[in-house]
Amino acid sequence: MHLGLDDDELVACVACGLCLPHCPTFVITGRDTESPRGRIALMRAVQNEGAPVTDDLVRSMETCVQCRGCETACPSAVPFGHLMEGTRAALAGAGRITPRWQRLALGMLRHRRLLLAGSTLLALAIRLRLVPTRRLGLPARMPLRRPPLRTSGDDVWLFTGCVMDAWQRDVHLAVQRVLEAAGVGVEPTGGAAPCCGALHIHAGLESETKAMARRVMAGLSGDDRPILVDAAGCGAALKDYGHLLGTDEARAFSARVYDVHEWLAEHLEELRSRRPVDPLDVTVAVQDPCHLRHVQRAHQAVPAVLAPFVADVVALDDDGLCCGAGGAYSVMEAELSRAIRERKTAAVARSGATVVASANPGCSLHLAAAGLDVRHPLELVDQALAASRS
Amino acid sequence: MANTLAAATRRVLGSRRRGRGAAEVAGAVDAGDAALVADLVEAIGDDRVRADTAARYLASRDASIYREGNAGPVCYPGSTSDVAACVKVAIRHGRAVSPRGAGTGLAGGAAPLGQPVVLSMTRMDKLLEVDLDNGVAWVQPGMVNLDLSRALAPHGVHYAPDPSSQAVCTIGGNLANNSGGPHCLAYGVTSAHVVAVEVVLSDGSVVTLGDVTAEPAGYDLRGAFVGSEGMCGIATAVAVRLTRNPPAVCTMLLCFEDVSDAAATVSAIIAAGIVPAAIEMMDQRCVRAIEDFAQAGYPEDAAAVLLVEVDGPSGGVAIASERVDGIARRNQAISVRIAADEDERARLWKGRKSAFGAVANVMPDYYLHDTVVPRTRLVEVLERIYEIVDRHDLLVLNVFHAGDGNLHPILAYDSRVPGTDERVQAAGREIIEMSLDMGGALTGEHGIGVEKREYMNRMFTEVDLDQQSRLRASFDPYCRMNPGKVLPSAHSCSDIGALRAADAAGVWG
Repeated sequence: MHLGLDDDELVACVACGLCLPHCPTFVITGRDTESPRGRIALMRAVQNEGAPVTDDLVRSMETCVQCRGCETACPSAVPFGHLMEGTRAALAGAGRITPRWQRLALGMLRHRRLLLAGSTLLALAIRLRLVPTRRLGLPARMPLRRPPLRTSGDDVWLFTGCVMDAWQRDVHLAVQRVLEAAGVGVEPTGGAAPCCGALHIHAGLESETKAMARRVMAGLSGDDRPILVDAAGCGAALKDYGHLLGTDEARAFSARVYDVHEWLAEHLEELRSRRPVDPLDVTVAVQDPCHLRHVQRAHQAVPAVLAPFVADVVALDDDGLCCGAGGAYSVMEAELSRAIRERKTAAVARSGATVVASANPGCSLHLAAAGLDVRHPLELVDQALAASRS
Repeated sequence: MANTLAAATRRVLGSRRRGRGAAEVAGAVDAGDAALVADLVEAIGDDRVRADTAARYLASRDASIYREGNAGPVCYPGSTSDVAACVKVAIRHGRAVSPRGAGTGLAGGAAPLGQPVVLSMTRMDKLLEVDLDNGVAWVQPGMVNLDLSRALAPHGVHYAPDPSSQAVCTIGGNLANNSGGPHCLAYGVTSAHVVAVEVVLSDGSVVTLGDVTAEPAGYDLRGAFVGSEGMCGIATAVAVRLTRNPPAVCTMLLCFEDVSDAAATVSAIIAAGIVPAAIEMMDQRCVRAIEDFAQAGYPEDAAAVLLVEVDGPSGGVAIASERVDGIARRNQAISVRIAADEDERARLWKGRKSAFGAVANVMPDYYLHDTVVPRTRLVEVLERIYEIVDRHDLLVLNVFHAGDGNLHPILAYDSRVPGTDERVQAAGREIIEMSLDMGGALTGEHGIGVEKREYMNRMFTEVDLDQQSRLRASFDPYCRMNPGKVLPSAHSCSDIGALRAADAAGVWG
């Protein structure tokens, strides 16, 4: 099978192995089949040597969290994310991965009203204890009602997305309050940009993702306002539209996208100068979402923004290793995902922090399901601002 | 019981999740291996054995360019008794055993020959015991070198040998290759830091070589085992010596407009009686390959740089670093930079230690040798290397342990270009011949493996090689442990039938 991978990208791995300790699945299993180096060698075997696509080879690709921790560890800058996305697109096209039920579920994310209504039903079912939340990796409690999104100005877009808007709208509202406290007028994207397509590209649904990218771009065209994103996974996906679609228009769009912390770190003075703030009396451990640290490489903005607003910010000592959430990964590969999470919860325990700040909804749901007190970094900032207001 | 076992074996041979056709299972593994796999599964459990093509394909290779390896079933033992059980099963089925650490070897030492049972030691990665009284720690062989030093950090000690791949490579692999590293200039190589080894021998018995507290009576079998490349047995626990962290460290980056000035500086430093912890040299092409990744501020316009580190009591470090600075300037150094803090020091070392991995920034493939040459002839040797490489129309990145004359000329190339592989092999051979002619040695630290075994005749006489073969046979009389490595074919086990005729089609066959 030809996987459709770029030959120059594919041959760029010299198999030095420096990625191994940064791969969450290799660290757990110790098997080359679950390592970036091994996965690339298997891609080459298939595309260049005509090796058959066995079920075990497919498993090797399916078990990848797509955290891209290997990319920041690679001295030769092998674009592993592209290779894995391309491989998954080929495997999904051949019907080897992403079963029909998963495609249906992902398809629903594009339909905002359906998703919001479905989420309310799910929230109700959870309240009535009809859903085994723990087994499915769902939050133990979901909001039955969502306060409406509101526009406060036209300085920036706030990308609200799909699942996060349905399940964690409180976070968007907190982020919006923080931006407004810095004197910024915010317009939430809401129905203008229903879903970024991150989960779809990870599942190998390339053409669907491209269609979704075009829809998001169309919804946010007409001006060149910065597009701020408070979900690391979405931010990474939006920043990749330039590569995904390969057009000047898409590249220009991606250049407008910022992680909200990345943007705020440049506007910290506006936020701090407006009024004195008492820091919250908590020690916060910052969990770097992989798509902020390894893909956007903007993770250092989070502690920079957070530090003035809390008593203490501590870094985890695990070299930014993935928490195992990986979007739909925590559902699709539940066992491995939990084993990876145990290393993260151990790192949090070592840090002595009582609260974990995570800038990605998937990570925060996954870590909260392990019993940690997880907040979005800007929820903490919002809380500190509110306490100073009163 | 038998049914459960049969089901478990099927799981190992085939897929865990979906059914697959009989043809695919048959293609996954030799029919004759089914009984072997069943016995391995019975011995250590089905989650510790893989016999599918993907697992075997990846276990067939290491980080070298050698691609003729062919793995049988792959086991992931979790304990000494698992290893012993795997060895016994393999022997009962007439199969050899090849151990494997992180697969970062550059000489094909971990490439399995003749479809042996591969023992991947990655799950035996625990620090077993820290004995500060004796200055020793017991570790499992799958523990990553850097993880060991990190785990020891709270005690103010570390494990001194630090191969460039230390963030990945395992103590077991270090032991097998008697690995070196930048800091081995002052501290000595692996052999000086391993005091005892627990070993599973080729009959499955477990012995301990060496002693933690005192030199044991009789021959130094520990010394014979270190560097034996997996051919004398499988290490299952290693007692390593702990080294006190130096009270002060000074890391200096010396830059030169001419490679020969850098080489002259190295000789002058040693001649002045200074023993730095490390002296590393990189040439311009190497610096350019790493700087993008390391962001360490390496100057991309210098012809060569030296990374020099001195450590010890702070007074001594201050004096030594000042003397190094003076020597460098007398040898036309264009700049001397001293790392201001731990972060800058870490970035400089990160650059040096990612050199091999960064080659793909230049070319997608590389091949290197690690010959050792007399330090006094460094300039001459480097000129010859550049000349050889030019003649074969190749690129070379030079990065090496200059203090002890251990070269790593990296031939960077693109194997997709027809005829390149041959030119690379020819240039590599010339570099080896030249190094030996200069009074050098075949390998400094990467081991012989399969890559360099045919050069052994160039280094040793028939009598020498026979003695080495007999030493090995005293550990492993039937040549079942990692056969086919180190000793050239006339002296290796290939002629006594331990190596099954390798399937020419490889694991996908």
